[in-house]
Amino acid sequence: MSKKKAQGTNLLYQLIGEARGYDDVIIMGRGDPDFDTPAHIVAAAKNAMINHHADSTPPEGLLALREAIAARVKRVNNIDVDPVTEVVVTNGGQEALFLMALAVLAPGDELIVPEPNYNTYADSLAFAGGVKVEVQTYAEDDFRADPADVRAAISDKTRALLLVSPNNPAASVISPADMREMLDIAIANDLMILADDIYDLFVYDEFEHVSPASMPGGKERALTLNALSKAYSMTGWRLGWIVGPADLMARVRELKAAISGGTSVISQHAGIAALTGPQDAVEMMAEAYRWRRRLVLDALDAMGIKYGLPQGGQFVFADIGFTGMDSGEVAQRILSEQHVLAYPGSAFSKDRKDYLRMTFLQPEDQLIEGLERMKVAMANIVAEG
Amino acid sequence: MASKTKAEILAGHEANTALNARSLAPAPRHAKDLGADGMFSPLDERIIAAASEALEAGQTHYVDVPGIAPLRSEIADSLNRETGARYEPGNIIITAGLQESRFLSIQKIGEDFENIGVPAVIHPGVWKALGVRAREVVSLPVDAERGYLPAVQAIADAVAGGCRLLYLESPSRLTGAAYTSEEVAAIAQGLSNAGAAAIWDGGCGPWVEGGCGSLAATEESPEHITTIGEAVPGMGLASWFIGYIAAPEDQIPAMQSQKQIMAICTSTAAQFAALEATKLFEEARGLRLGQLAQFKSDLTKTAASQNIAVIAGDALNIIALRASEAASARLREAGYEFADGASFGAPGVIRLNVNAVASAALQALS
Ligand SMILES: Cc1ncc(COP(=O)(O)O)c(C=O)c1O
Repeated sequence: MSKKKAQGTNLLYQLIGEARGYDDVIIMGRGDPDFDTPAHIVAAAKNAMINHHADSTPPEGLLALREAIAARVKRVNNIDVDPVTEVVVTNGGQEALFLMALAVLAPGDELIVPEPNYNTYADSLAFAGGVKVEVQTYAEDDFRADPADVRAAISDKTRALLLVSPNNPAASVISPADMREMLDIAIANDLMILADDIYDLFVYDEFEHVSPASMPGGKERALTLNALSKAYSMTGWRLGWIVGPADLMARVRELKAAISGGTSVISQHAGIAALTGPQDAVEMMAEAYRWRRRLVLDALDAMGIKYGLPQGGQFVFADIGFTGMDSGEVAQRILSEQHVLAYPGSAFSKDRKDYLRMTFLQPEDQLIEGLERMKVAMANIVAEG
Repeated sequence: MASKTKAEILAGHEANTALNARSLAPAPRHAKDLGADGMFSPLDERIIAAASEALEAGQTHYVDVPGIAPLRSEIADSLNRETGARYEPGNIIITAGLQESRFLSIQKIGEDFENIGVPAVIHPGVWKALGVRAREVVSLPVDAERGYLPAVQAIADAVAGGCRLLYLESPSRLTGAAYTSEEVAAIAQGLSNAGAAAIWDGGCGPWVEGGCGSLAATEESPEHITTIGEAVPGMGLASWFIGYIAAPEDQIPAMQSQKQIMAICTSTAAQFAALEATKLFEEARGLRLGQLAQFKSDLTKTAASQNIAVIAGDALNIIALRASEAASARLREAGYEFADGASFGAPGVIRLNVNAVASAALQALS
């Protein structure tokens, strides 16, 4: 594909390809924490290779892991689930979201999605034959999804509502009051809820994360996904889960069996160690993200770039509209000139050509260096244009 | 208040018999479990060392969607060596196990075709993969006398009737029966003449002494044939879920992008373990084949002495028997698990893994 024509995800892949060619590149886009998986989890995996490598697993996962997951969602999210019938282990959050879409949506069904959002939702929805109905959110409101807009988007084909909180890429967190209203809307219109809690441990300042399944009337109509990828720096292990009401989860189990059969027992044992072992590494990493978030926001302020305040998650969605250029072009310029890769907003939504997504998942020295270089590139862009 | 929306969703799923086909365990759940897809194998220390060293060195992050480059390369080489195929690393996608290979290939390649021809007797994982998103299926009649494989003529008839994509297993995952090289050549010729494509599960091929014919080795394979299987079978990785797809170049982008959508990549522990296992595979398989041959021949004799009908099969890792419902029930009561042919589409047949426990199971069966 020629450079000029690439758009959306293709453009992103092209930029990633170019970035790989630079020895000194600093990647400020990818959602992969820089920390390696904590050592005690790796040690548990090694132990599992010796002692449990041949254990069989049902499609829904080992009971010991499902019990650890049930305990975790109770402790962190206040969701009550039965580990026997209401938990399915998945190949990461990604398989979980694919399964949620397939479980709930039939061809022609509409899913209401606050935008911008994690791009895979659109792809999974397309596979299921569902229709995405977008509800826009804006930087000036810190990307708050307004329940009134959700209500207005409902049609007789609406089946479900997607709530990713904290959000990727917009980093907004749905407040408890808004979440209650979203749930009331779902109940009043008999909609299912697909909740993505993958960033639930990353919530900043006074903001508060709440799972819709923890609220009265929520559990029976919500499927909630999570994964160890982000919080435990375990992106390469491919371990996530869905929890929800037993009747729907029985269907999720069949879909999981149809799509991949089961989940690696080694990753599952690592997951048991992650969830039941010491949590100080998780807290240490979360603390690092808090500090890096401050670094990024300060640098953006210094560059005069506006953004929606990241209330949670691991990203900043920055508005570069003032350059008058498409974010793809801006990302291309920053990459070619300064070897820094920020992800163009157009990779997340066709309507977000004015945005760049930046992560704070790099070691501090690289982050500082990357922001310095970006400052130079942005100054050049502004001076020229 | 009960949700009508949820009731409708549930009713849709419950009516989907393909999706609800039985799933088989990836590995034995206990010593008397003879029904699992994978066999019990010890795990070589070198595999443990390689996988844990990779993890300790920080291979705990996302890796390339189609798999780590050295593993893709090893899988291509081993397929070429064993089946005479001509794959490049770029033809290979590493998957999270055989079922993901089935799902990705059936659903993505299937998008380019009006329907898919599927043998009336096939591994239930195929039905499940088909059930996720409705596809028109052309049922290929099978020959019970030929280990429940579709006859070459049945395949030719389906192609003559307009079917342009076929899903085939050889060896059969129920009986181990495999097409001969001549039959494979005839199938390939028929497909090629019609410009038809095939997905070929040759995953049990390594358990046929002297190898077995593969569509991947024919002239047409680079353009039309996709092969799938377990990445390094029999090496103790059955529960690690690692498989492959070897596909024509033009099919790779669609499957790779679907792999990204549904899983991002395959677990690094499994990939590094499989990479080490590829180095040990040839030797280990030689030993294993010798053991399996002995067990299977003993089993066949025991079955004959007990008047149990054995369905001939080339693959040595499984043995298929005719068993009445009463006999199957006795087997279950004695604590044995087996793969029920009914879930493959062949009631009255059972599949046992070939190992030291199986002869005791035959006693229970008779
Ligand atoms: C919102 C959201 N959900 C799910 C995922 C999938 O994560 P994984 O499959 O690595 O667990 C991601 C990854 O970036 C994400 O941002």
